[in-house]
Amino acid sequence: MKNVYRVLAYAVAALVAVQAASIAYALFGLAKYIDGGGAVDKNSDGFPGVGGLMAHGVGGQLVIPVVALALLVVSFFAHVPGGVRWALIVLGTVVVQVALGIFSHSLPALGAVHGALALVLFGVAVTAAMRVGSATSVVDEPARVATPVA
Amino acid sequence: MEGQTPVVRRRTLVAVLATVLVLAPLGWLWFASLVPERYSVLQMGAADYGGGPGTFAHDHGETAGQPRLSVEQLVADPVRRADVRVDLAAARATLALGAKAVPGFTLNGTSPGPTIRAVQGQLVEVHLRNVDVADGVALHWHGVDVPNAEDGTAGVTQDAVLPGHDHVYRFVAEDAGTYWYHSHQLSAAQVAGGLLGALVVTPRPAVAQQVDALALSHTYGGVRTLNGVAGDQHVVTAPGRSVRLRLVNTDNGLVQVWGSAPYTVLAVDGHDVNRPTPVSGPAYTLTAGGRVDLGLTVPTDGSAVRVQVSKGLAVVVGPDGAPDVAPPPQPTAQVDLLSYGSPAPVGFDPATATRRFRYSIGHRPGFVDGRPGLWWSVNGHLYPNIPMMMVSSGDVVTVHLDNHSGEAHPMHLHGHHAVVLARDGVAATGSPWWFDSLDVADGATYDVAFVADNPGIWMDHCHNLEHAADGMVVHLMYTGVTTPYVIGGPVRNRPE
Repeated sequence: MKNVYRVLAYAVAALVAVQAASIAYALFGLAKYIDGGGAVDKNSDGFPGVGGLMAHGVGGQLVIPVVALALLVVSFFAHVPGGVRWALIVLGTVVVQVALGIFSHSLPALGAVHGALALVLFGVAVTAAMRVGSATSVVDEPARVATPVA
Repeated sequence: MEGQTPVVRRRTLVAVLATVLVLAPLGWLWFASLVPERYSVLQMGAADYGGGPGTFAHDHGETAGQPRLSVEQLVADPVRRADVRVDLAAARATLALGAKAVPGFTLNGTSPGPTIRAVQGQLVEVHLRNVDVADGVALHWHGVDVPNAEDGTAGVTQDAVLPGHDHVYRFVAEDAGTYWYHSHQLSAAQVAGGLLGALVVTPRPAVAQQVDALALSHTYGGVRTLNGVAGDQHVVTAPGRSVRLRLVNTDNGLVQVWGSAPYTVLAVDGHDVNRPTPVSGPAYTLTAGGRVDLGLTVPTDGSAVRVQVSKGLAVVVGPDGAPDVAPPPQPTAQVDLLSYGSPAPVGFDPATATRRFRYSIGHRPGFVDGRPGLWWSVNGHLYPNIPMMMVSSGDVVTVHLDNHSGEAHPMHLHGHHAVVLARDGVAATGSPWWFDSLDVADGATYDVAFVADNPGIWMDHCHNLEHAADGMVVHLMYTGVTTPYVIGGPVRNRPE
């Protein structure tokens, strides 16, 4: 269970990296498309790299929230010191990040916060992962081993 | 369990309880969102009577003691002979657009299909045959206030027409103007694929119009076209002539229109503007699904006028051999229909409204038919639990539209035209802004009014058809009207 916790936490961090990668890919694709004479408007079909925008949407609205939720559920059983607390922090940050993604459509300046918070989410996810195998968990083990057979 | 202390057992129990607390609500929301394979629009959502009279009945269609009228009975005079008869054959095809070949649909071999022309007051009879469109077709007359049985919405007013089958539409072209017709079975895909055409009704008595031109804008697979052809359109006219240029936007998003010379907005959504003035500078915002008739005068010096329909495409109006006109830069300002033209009576008093509805558009997480995601909401509800606006014949109705969803929505009401009373709280001061397709920008509010003078069951939805397919559909229902048709079912009716 502890390993599952650690893997899920690192998965959140990795998916945040994928979010950044996909949006950057899309923007560079768009720049190159426009450079070649392409035009994009509400009725356009897309451009090479538009898949990055779609991946960013699905990853951010569906995949990351599901993984963060799974992390929380696993934390109930993993008995990682501070595990539940950090899973809640990860999930909370994901919720804020998704909300920012939604509201930035109306207020594009909020997009700047959305971009910066991604780094915070990455850090929080890695911190949660590193809670597994921390010093306090070693103290836990002898106490459990020492429980006598009744 | 052997070897487990009470502390560990309790911890496990707490962990399981916490998991259930987190996952059970999600599971319930998922289950509650599932939609049956076949259902009637009469069963969707909650009836909203807008503060007016009406009692809740299980199928939303019953007024105590009165027999229910079926939509099939709401037809034009069945005895009257047709003045204009059109035969349309719908088929799948690969459309050649310059260098690109795009899979799509044709009507009588072309996309757009033939332009249907009638004179005001004539009865139009359209014989639709589905050649090989496997999912079925239906034709909706966008902007024409037809009798409900002719509205063409699969699963609401008819069954979709399967391959090898026919359907006849009959309606009187009561209002002059520029309209279009398009499929309303799997409309998002079929309209994108080009199952559409223009419908022009000229006034009676005839207006002296020297030149009458049509430019129907459609984007096929990313290729922008006018009248089905990629590239600028040329309307050849002699110098000094006045031209009525009818523009139709058949795409899912708005398009800006501007010219190299002043133009006049003669009509919006088929309704004439009262005392329009020449527009010099600003662009005209053409809503998705909307139409505008622009008045132009060809210069006497032999040059042409260039009308941009989005940055990449133009209609060039002028004599043969006129020198090329450089594309004029896109203006930053737009014509404001709220104050354009001169006021005139609207024919009814919105202050006497007996039904007042709220149509609040949002965007929120949830489940629709078991799928999780971010969905468009109406008054906080997701499809199919959206409100059913209930009205009775003769009611004066007002609707307060507001959009806080992060994206603009072109709202289209079937079977009726409504008038804008105010936008963002500012009252309309220009020519009555009658519309059937209204672009509601993110953050904007509109107060609109109409008379419920066309009984039936009418869709009121976003004409960004991708949004409609995602559930942004509301119905306007008249009390005492029912429908035998269902969404889904043996014919697989799916209006979006």
